[in-house]
Amino acid sequence: MFKFDHKSMLVGASVVAGTALFLTGCLPSSSSASEIKSASAKVSTTGVGPYDPKMGALDGGVTYSRENGQYTAYRYNEQSTKGVDHGRVPTANELKAWDMDIMPDGTGLPEGEGSVEDGDELYEEQCAACHGEFGAGGHGYPALSGGNQEKDENGVIKTLKNQRLEPGMDAPKRTVGTYWPQASTLIWYIRDAMPYAHPKSLTNNEIYAITAYILAANEIEIDGVEMDDEYVLNREKFLKIKMPNADGFYPNIDGPTAIEDIRAFFADRAKNIGSGTRCMTDCKDPGMTGKEATVMKIGYEIKDVVPAYSMVRDLPPELEDKVISKAEKLYNENCKLCHASDNMGAPAVGDVDAWYEVAKQGNEKVIINAIEGMGGMPPKGGNEDLTNTEIKKIVEFMIDSSKKKH
Amino acid sequence: MAKMKIKAKAKGDIVKVKAMFTSLMADTEEAEKKKIKVEYITQIVAKHNGNVVFEVSTSGFMAENPLFKFQFKGGKKGEKIEFTTTDNNGKIETGKKKIK
Repeated sequence: MFKFDHKSMLVGASVVAGTALFLTGCLPSSSSASEIKSASAKVSTTGVGPYDPKMGALDGGVTYSRENGQYTAYRYNEQSTKGVDHGRVPTANELKAWDMDIMPDGTGLPEGEGSVEDGDELYEEQCAACHGEFGAGGHGYPALSGGNQEKDENGVIKTLKNQRLEPGMDAPKRTVGTYWPQASTLIWYIRDAMPYAHPKSLTNNEIYAITAYILAANEIEIDGVEMDDEYVLNREKFLKIKMPNADGFYPNIDGPTAIEDIRAFFADRAKNIGSGTRCMTDCKDPGMTGKEATVMKIGYEIKDVVPAYSMVRDLPPELEDKVISKAEKLYNENCKLCHASDNMGAPAVGDVDAWYEVAKQGNEKVIINAIEGMGGMPPKGGNEDLTNTEIKKIVEFMIDSSKKKH
Repeated sequence: MAKMKIKAKAKGDIVKVKAMFTSLMADTEEAEKKKIKVEYITQIVAKHNGNVVFEVSTSGFMAENPLFKFQFKGGKKGEKIEFTTTDNNGKIETGKKKIK
C-alpha cells in the first residue's frame, strides 16, 4: 500500500504534517513519518563517489531535477502557495512615506541652496573621517573623487576601461565624477543615508552644500561654469547638471519607449555586444585568428577525500589531564577576559614587572581595590556574585602566578 | 583638469594647509607592471609671500594622488599660498589658493 524510500530527503512541513495526520489514521506507528518519501524532493545523487556530480552541477554539488530535463544546484520548493496570503495593500500615506526618492527629472528634489565653501566645512566635519580628504577615499570607504574624466574617441571615460590583465594593474575607477550617470543619486543618498552614524540629520541646505562640494571635487561643470569656492548650488542649477558619464551606459533604459529600445538593442547582438556567432562544432579556432584556443580542463579531479570527512557530531573532549584550583577556575571565569593580556590596560597575569608594582601596595590593598573596583576595572571584576573570600583567593592566585619563578 | 586641490585655513597666525596632487606616482618599476607611462612628481614647493614654507622631494614611493598636510606660522587670511610641482618629465604645474 505504501512504499517508503529511506534514502530520500524530505521537504515541506505541510506535506509531512498532512501525510502524518493521514498515517496516524491507518498505521499504528507514526515513527516513520520522518522518512516518508515526499513527492517534491527529487534528489539525484547517483554517481561514482561523492565528488563525481552530474554535468552542470557545481563542483561537488548535488543536482535537483526540475521539469523538462532542467536541474538546479538548489532545492526547488514545489509546494503550492495556495492559501498563503501575507501582507496587505499599503495605504496612500504609507506609500507616500516610502516613495521618497529623488529622480533625475527633479521629482522629489527639495528646495535649498548651499555653497561649495559651506560644503567644504561640512564635509570635513561629517564625511572626511571615512571618505578621506578631498573625497580621496580610505579606510575601506568609497572614494568620491579621483580618476580623470578624459574620454577616448568613442566617448568612453578612459579610467573606466582599466582592466586588471596583469598583477598590480589598476581596476576601473568608479567615482562620482567618472562613473555616476546622474547627480540626483548623489543628493538622494546623502539625504537618506549619510552621515553613516546619524543619517537624515542634515538640512536641505546642508545636503546641497555637501553635494556641491563633492561635485566640485570631481571638477564637474554646471552649464559650462566651473564650480569654485563661492559657487552656490540650488535646485535650478542642480537640474542643469550633466554628469560626465551620463551617456556611458547602454542600452538606454529611460523613457516611455524603454522596453522597445532594450529589445531592439539586444536583437542586434552582433553589432551592439559584439559576441559574434556561437561556435558549435570544431571550435579549436573560433575567432579564425590562426591560433588554437586553449581549452582549460580540470587536471586533477577530486574523486574522494582522504581521510574522509568526519560525520561525528559530538563536541571535542574537554581536557581533563590538568587539574586546576578553584581560584584559577574563578579567575578563568571572571577575570581572564581583561587580565590575560595587557591589551585592556589591566596588568597581565604572568607579567612579573607589572605585578611587582601591584603587589608592592600589599595584598590587603590589592584585595580592596579588586572588591571596590579601580580605574577601568568594575567592582569585583563586574561579577557581584563573587564573595569577598573568593576575590581574596583570586587575587592571591593572580599574584602568585605573576611572581618571578626561580 | 586642475592638477591640485589646495585648502588653507588660518587660525591665529598659524595656517593649516592640505594639498592633494593629481599624479599616478608611477616609477619605472610600477609603470612597467601596470603598462602605463612613467609619471611621478619629483618636487613640491609651497610659497607664501615669496618665502618657501614647504618643500619636499618625492618619487614613486608615494601613493597615487599624494596628499600633504602641514602648517606654518605667519600667514593671514586673504593672503595666497602658491604651490609648484615638478614631475619627472620636467613638467611644471602651479596652483594658488587664498588662505581662509
